[in-house]
Amino acid sequence: MNDLSASSRITYGAVPVQPAVVRRIRGLSDKALAWLFITPTMVLLLAINIFPLVWTIYLSFTNYRANRANAPVKWLGIDWYQTILTDPDIWAAMQVTAHFVFWTVVIETVLGFGLAFLIDKKFRGHGVWTTIILLPMMLSPAVVGNFWTFLYQPQIGLFNYVVAFLTGRPASSFQMLGDVTLSPWAIVIVDAWMWTPYVMLICLAGLRSIPDYIYEAAEVDRASKWRQFWSITLPMALPFIMLAVLFRGIENFKMFDMVNLLTGGGPGSTTEVASITLKRAAFESWRTGYSSAFAIILFVTVFGLANIYVKALNRVKSR
Amino acid sequence: MAEVEIRAVSKAFKKTQAVSDLSLTVGDGEFVALLGPTGAGKTTTLRLIAGLEMPDRGSIRIGGRDVTGDAPADRDVAFVFQQYSLYPHLTVFENMAFALRAPIRRVPEAEIRAKVREVACLLHIETKLDNKATQLSGGQMQRVAIGRALVRSPAIYLMDEPLSSLDAKLRGEMRLELKRIQTDLGATILYVTHDQTEAMTMASRIGVIEGGRLLQIGTPREIYENPINAHVAARLGQPAINLLPATLFAGAPRGAMTIGARTEHLTIARGGGDVQATVKRIEHLGDQSHLHLDLGGQPVVTLSDPEARLGPGDIVSLRLNKPLFFDADGGRVAA
Repeated sequence: MNDLSASSRITYGAVPVQPAVVRRIRGLSDKALAWLFITPTMVLLLAINIFPLVWTIYLSFTNYRANRANAPVKWLGIDWYQTILTDPDIWAAMQVTAHFVFWTVVIETVLGFGLAFLIDKKFRGHGVWTTIILLPMMLSPAVVGNFWTFLYQPQIGLFNYVVAFLTGRPASSFQMLGDVTLSPWAIVIVDAWMWTPYVMLICLAGLRSIPDYIYEAAEVDRASKWRQFWSITLPMALPFIMLAVLFRGIENFKMFDMVNLLTGGGPGSTTEVASITLKRAAFESWRTGYSSAFAIILFVTVFGLANIYVKALNRVKSR
Repeated sequence: MAEVEIRAVSKAFKKTQAVSDLSLTVGDGEFVALLGPTGAGKTTTLRLIAGLEMPDRGSIRIGGRDVTGDAPADRDVAFVFQQYSLYPHLTVFENMAFALRAPIRRVPEAEIRAKVREVACLLHIETKLDNKATQLSGGQMQRVAIGRALVRSPAIYLMDEPLSSLDAKLRGEMRLELKRIQTDLGATILYVTHDQTEAMTMASRIGVIEGGRLLQIGTPREIYENPINAHVAARLGQPAINLLPATLFAGAPRGAMTIGARTEHLTIARGGGDVQATVKRIEHLGDQSHLHLDLGGQPVVTLSDPEARLGPGDIVSLRLNKPLFFDADGGRVAA
């Protein structure tokens, strides 16, 4: 309090400011000022984050339906949670999600780190290549979903054409989006194409943060390039790689837009990731209570996994 | 340990000539210090020997073998960097064992443990072996960095201002320790510094380097007493040598434009000196005092006895006592 009023006296003493303004600002204590600054954010957070969350938790214990808002609401306790956790369809959706999250994260991390490692070698024109590689990431997922449906077209699609060219199989002999075994991989490929650059960018930041003199010391210490990679590059870039994995993992656990555009969850329910199941229950069947419970289950899962992961990340960082 | 010989080496970075036509031989078991200001080319010289930079011209021989084109790993050198350059995710022990664990060395694990422990004791960090490198103080980190070099027995230790980031007290201690270790091990060391005290106290020979050129090399005493030019003379001595116009004093030899007067070349007399000077300021350092004088508009700094009761405005007379003389280009002129 004293510090602030002292400094403001100096400031306002030096710069001519209208007396009324001076008095009003001076009249506030540090605490009041702090509240003044954070209140708008707090109100916004409460209104668009905390309140909906609490409301969803409440709805998940009721039979409320958003399309029959005036119908009497009945308290159901944990019925929905029991129904969902014993429903094989839900478990199928979770498996599809797990497949999608696991493979996208693995592929994006390996490719992203590999690209970052190459770009970090600062060859001629590496700046241009960085920009080119980053382009997919800058597109809207809706656009990506749309044009990959064209790329995957069996007759005219570029993807099928390239595969046909490389393997000799006729282009129209397979459908990436229409085949039950291929479609889960089709969405993995698109996501990897779009988001590998993002992982690369984070890994590149990690690699750039390793000072040159550490490599020079290793060089003088007779460490081979291989040993330098395993005992310097990888351990020192690991926190960044883990961060990229965290971001991509959370993001893809909630994946909706791109998959919805590409396959809409089909064929059958082979690409029906959890958020598509959720959206159908919420806005096609209008089972609001049920979908609220499912949303809470998903939230707790992501939140719990992310927390465990962040603990591990912090341990790696503090090594 | 082995002899290291640099022959007429030059290195430029884009348009900056870092090292020009530099030749230097470091004898087996010798401690040579390269002394010079920032940007003089000291570090580049060290990096050229280590193989971290490739020379544009000239050759480098270690132990009689030409290593000019060799990779750092093939040169058998150890390098202590100015920025500790420890591996931050490894423990002190792992940091020091790193070089010994190189596959080409195939040192047995028991031997590695014994060697690391021995060097750690030498540097008084044996209790820190299990700590992470990042949990140490600056002085300890630098000991580890030196220890990493010491566990090996390379042809030469290259040290790039290893003590510059330590505080004055620790620097003084480490100076003594480093010299002791060097004598005990009979190690060959090329040591880069801009600190004249380090060079004077540790080195058996000092090379004064400036603008990428080796100006003079010799024992600390030779460099101090017999500098070949004004640049070299100005590198050593505390307070720095006073470079004064020759016209201020009578008796300068022909061709001498500048008189180089160190504090021991100046005798302060209450009267009967050659010239009169006014006391401007006195810096009391305890055991001695720096006396700032005005000599016909020229600033002169010399030492004085703290007992001498002098104050600003006092007039003293100075007498020259076998000073150094330099010509218009700064070259030495015989008295």
